[in-house]
Amino acid sequence: MRRVCNRAITKMDIKNNSKMSQAKKNRPKNLNLFTIRMPINALVSILHRVTGCALFLALPLLLLTFQMSVSSAEHFLTVKELLNSPFSKLMLLGLAWAFFHHFFAGIRHLAMDVHWATTLIKARYTSKMVFVLGGIATLLLAVSWVL
Amino acid sequence: MLLSLLTKRYPGMRAWLTQRLTGLLMAIYSVILLVLVLVYTPSTYADWLKFSQPLWWRFATWLFWICLSIHAWLGVRDVLKDYVPHEQIRMVLLKLVVIVLWLYMIWITVLLWNL
Repeated sequence: MRRVCNRAITKMDIKNNSKMSQAKKNRPKNLNLFTIRMPINALVSILHRVTGCALFLALPLLLLTFQMSVSSAEHFLTVKELLNSPFSKLMLLGLAWAFFHHFFAGIRHLAMDVHWATTLIKARYTSKMVFVLGGIATLLLAVSWVL
Repeated sequence: MLLSLLTKRYPGMRAWLTQRLTGLLMAIYSVILLVLVLVYTPSTYADWLKFSQPLWWRFATWLFWICLSIHAWLGVRDVLKDYVPHEQIRMVLLKLVVIVLWLYMIWITVLLWNL
């Protein structure tokens, strides 16, 4: 008797499960980033990820540059010349911004982890600060090259 | 409270704390490096070698790279978990990231050792 009962339940379960998975499949997905309005906090957050990935991808270039710069005096000069071209300066500025954004957004994360500035108003304010500080730091670097 | 959560039962908490600690150490190193570069502005090869040859600097840079490897691993792992739903492709990518990070670690170690 018990066996039969168990079997019946199992069959029902399977039926329900397949219904549920069907329902899951039919759920609307809205992951198109261009249709989502991003509040400034979300923007800081996603850029923290994007810049992190960019910095990770830039690691081999960083290592290669360091290797060349310490290998010999000629190579050091080559690196200096290479880094002086407008194109590489633009690349470097982009990377510098990525670093500064990741840096300041990371500090913001640390602050929030110790429960500092966790209200929405304060979080929005610190988000703006991340953008402002990242921009200023990058701008200072750009200015220092021109001078 | 926090320490009681740092057992093997909650590996996510360990990852979370490791991510923060490595980030903090790297932030400190970065600020010090930036200030030193601004102060000394090594512009010739001899200056550059003199700047990067002290043992403490090499050791700090080595520690920085260890933190970087761990930090990058945890970060890239999370990103891949979120955006690569295909399990086998994700596994391959994760393994690739580990291999690449180890190669970088060996690379920087050899470079710093031979300075």
